[in-house]
Amino acid sequence: MKILHLYHDLMNLYGDYANLSALCRILETNGLEYTVHKQSLGYELSLNDYDFIYVGSGTEQNQKLALEHLTEYKEELKEYIESGKMALFTGNSFEMLGKSINSFLGDFEGLGIFDFATIEQNKTRTTADAIFTFGELETELVGFINKCSEINGIETPLFSVTKGLANNKQDGGEGIVSGNFFGTHLTGPVLVKNPHFLKYIAEKLAGKKLSTDAFENEKKGFEITLKNLKQ
Amino acid sequence: MRKILAIIICKALRIIGKAVGKGSSLPGKFALKVCPDILSRVKLPQNIVAVTGSNGKTSTTEMIAHILRSGGKKVIYNAEGSNQIEGVTTFILANATLGGRVKGDVLLIESDERYAKYTFKYITPTYYVITNLYRDQLTRNGHPMWVYDAIAASVNNNCRLVLNADDPLVSLFGKDREDTIYFGADKLSSDTETFTSVYNDMVYCPVCHAPMDYSTYHYNHIGHFNCEACGYTRKQAQYSVTKADLEEGYIIIDGTNRIDLALKSLYNIYNILAAYTACSLLGLEGESIAAAINNYVLKNGRVTTFKLGSRQGVLLTSKHENSISYDMSLKLAADDKEGSDVVIIVDAISRKYFTSDVSWLYDIDFHLLSTNNVKRIILAGAYAYDLAARFSYTNIFQDKITVTESIEKAVDLLNTEDGEKIYVITCFSDKGKFLERVEVEN
Repeated sequence: MKILHLYHDLMNLYGDYANLSALCRILETNGLEYTVHKQSLGYELSLNDYDFIYVGSGTEQNQKLALEHLTEYKEELKEYIESGKMALFTGNSFEMLGKSINSFLGDFEGLGIFDFATIEQNKTRTTADAIFTFGELETELVGFINKCSEINGIETPLFSVTKGLANNKQDGGEGIVSGNFFGTHLTGPVLVKNPHFLKYIAEKLAGKKLSTDAFENEKKGFEITLKNLKQ
Repeated sequence: MRKILAIIICKALRIIGKAVGKGSSLPGKFALKVCPDILSRVKLPQNIVAVTGSNGKTSTTEMIAHILRSGGKKVIYNAEGSNQIEGVTTFILANATLGGRVKGDVLLIESDERYAKYTFKYITPTYYVITNLYRDQLTRNGHPMWVYDAIAASVNNNCRLVLNADDPLVSLFGKDREDTIYFGADKLSSDTETFTSVYNDMVYCPVCHAPMDYSTYHYNHIGHFNCEACGYTRKQAQYSVTKADLEEGYIIIDGTNRIDLALKSLYNIYNILAAYTACSLLGLEGESIAAAINNYVLKNGRVTTFKLGSRQGVLLTSKHENSISYDMSLKLAADDKEGSDVVIIVDAISRKYFTSDVSWLYDIDFHLLSTNNVKRIILAGAYAYDLAARFSYTNIFQDKITVTESIEKAVDLLNTEDGEKIYVITCFSDKGKFLERVEVEN
């Protein structure tokens, strides 16, 4: 399996890199072989060489730099996603895939792979601990969001919001799912905090059942956080 | 009339508040309701020093006050740490006459970095010290770029900026200004040539976004930077740490003034340097500043020594959700050549608000504890398992680590006949839970 950690040094706002640490560990402890490439600004990308692409969250400024760089590869990324290959974009990184980002930094054309639009302001940041549900998993997910944007026009959200922030104030849905593309505004190591979601993602990637015996601490941590968030 | 009323209300509420042990921001809040621009209506001392930034504000402010007072100056400052406009209003009005004159030689203000623009709308500091910009409490703040913009809105043209030359983001406040003063450290023996921490917020130039070069790193993104693409580079500092010996525990400022360190951390060095710079600018001699701050032990409770049975320990108050604060404390424990047992407690992430987010643990460089100096590591508190998960991604020998949710049990485990010095690393929100079970010395 070939994994690409894209914009690892630019879009890594809050321990996001650990999403890949967790993914690598589950593959490794299940005896699967993989390689990870880290690429960023200045690299010539060859997205279709990979089986999994991860991008984390960044500052509003860094997201625009990533967007500018990735725009050159938008057709390739579109093809990658439409062919059913896997990608996980966390934090504000998935906003790049929409039609547009109207920002305090200017108006930016998105990659246009999806039909949603993002509005970004610099007056207030909204932060929240989150409990989400995900259609294919019985157990809820926990996480954290820190954002200054809202997104309109997503018809296939990834999560339902039990607690926390949705794509915008009207919707009950968060993030976006399309084929094997997963986008969520959850910031930080989502896959560490939710070992059952890690299992789901990794099994999809590996195409077989995997053990999460190596994640006992993570499982206990998850239970405690879920309990705390429900209080 | 409203001015006098606001002052009377503030003074009265302050007295009542003190009697019942309430916080120091409420009186100012009411005074601001009565007279919103009260801070521009009072007559302030000629010299006003403000301190803001992510870390080190309270310690730097305390040291400035201590040095100035040793030099015979009357200093008014928010020692109680209420550093938003309400708290600032409280302490200023509490020190004002009914006519609105604030008595003192120097008004010293520690200001919250996010809300500084409100305070400094009414007050123009003579010297405005900015210490650093780090990732801090993302569960309620923005990232450092966001905070940069918030501070920028508080800087007006008539104040003189006093900036950390070694932090590229802080130094940026001085770009296109002429009279800015910089403080920084020369290349130090503890420096590294390559970046060693978990993340680098300054990997790209904050001006042109090209990759940033560093000739030396002091710690994290603090060092001697240079952007070849646009020429944004570290400014020559007017006040410099020219030598730092963390083992011996002293620094030398500007080649001549030696200061012995009560706390042998790089962090402390920058706080001392910032305080030294501010006091020099107010006219004190370097020699007398150095004498005043020599071996100075902070009174703000950030470092607490204790005894547990026959064992010695120190609790280093580190901010949860602030990885650089943790990195500095971990370094201190890891560098103790006489050996250390390290306890890390994450029980309540904040005392002011609720969050269960542990993302910040992944920004901390726990690898630092991967040294033979560290004999044992205890991870404790409600989030002990999250800590254990984080530690599983380090190369620290897992047999050294004990995990327990119970802080009481952590104390029991340490209560042995003899052993290494105990280093406890935790936050304001959790330190009392440990300290109540040991014999506190300072």
